Amino acid sequence: MSGMTATTDRAVRAARMPGDGWRMAVRGFGQLLITGGVVILLFVVYELWITGLYTAAQQHKLLHNIEQEWLHHGGVGEISTATPAEIKHIPIGSGIAILRIPRFGKGYHMVVVQGTGYSDLEKGPGHYTDYNSAMPGQVGNFAVAGHRTTYLHPFYNINELKPGDPIVLETKTMWFTYRVQNIPRTKGYPEIHYQEIVNPDDVQVAYPIPDQPNLDAKPTLKLLTFTSCNPRYSAAQRIVVHALLEQALPKGPGVLPQSLGGTA
Amino acid sequence: MYVWIWRHIPGGVPGKLFGSLLLFVGAVALLFFIVFPRVQNSLPFNDVTINQHGTHSTVSPSPSP
Repeated sequence: MSGMTATTDRAVRAARMPGDGWRMAVRGFGQLLITGGVVILLFVVYELWITGLYTAAQQHKLLHNIEQEWLHHGGVGEISTATPAEIKHIPIGSGIAILRIPRFGKGYHMVVVQGTGYSDLEKGPGHYTDYNSAMPGQVGNFAVAGHRTTYLHPFYNINELKPGDPIVLETKTMWFTYRVQNIPRTKGYPEIHYQEIVNPDDVQVAYPIPDQPNLDAKPTLKLLTFTSCNPRYSAAQRIVVHALLEQALPKGPGVLPQSLGGTA
Repeated sequence: MYVWIWRHIPGGVPGKLFGSLLLFVGAVALLFFIVFPRVQNSLPFNDVTINQHGTHSTVSPSPSP
């Protein structure tokens, strides 16, 4: 018996060696680092994929709502002829038009929401309520921001938009086809390159007359401007794409703009 | 820490495995639904707009998910 007790004592003594405290601290620190790494990986998974699930669900709802609104004459009706007062009352975060970009795929369509707050852009591309931004089809600049890599990344391939690419907006009664292109220097307008990489505070790209310092300059053209972050997975800069309205086509049975495979 | 948790989950090895899985799922859910949605807007990755301050300033009144 006494022999066994001695053995146990020795084992206990052996288990508590000098430096055990250090070993435990180092082990704890190691586990903390591994945990931190796993949390960061999970964050990446969340941003790149989980956020997309949220946007997909929201888009589903927005599409349903906007189609119901168009069908049952709810909301503001035809947005391109809405007055500034009517536009002011459009609820932030609600759908205003359906965006199609054939370059991004045949089935690509996103409901554009009013507003560019975080919660708006989480639902889909957002229309700027600042900078006197116009509505689709209106004189001025229809400026839209969209996510590049998260929240279903509607503008993931925005860098691939080239001059001549159509951008189609569907409103209650109209199809508006814009075309990506350089805007030549004309009366009141500077020369505008179809694609720009700018600093995050270069707000002039979204002005009614882009790329000049006067927000109140009177526009004469019907432009569209997209903004997103650049490069992908970064937010150091913004990528900007400009387009000019080419066609305003009233909707009707069987009427589809050429850019979407129709004949009109 | 993990050793301590493992020791304190009851139910033998199957119980411990199940308990660990439950804790892990709980931790991930906490991160995905509460921590990450709150943290992400303080980080620059989701800034896609242009504005005067170079960061996000237009906050809409609608609630965050």
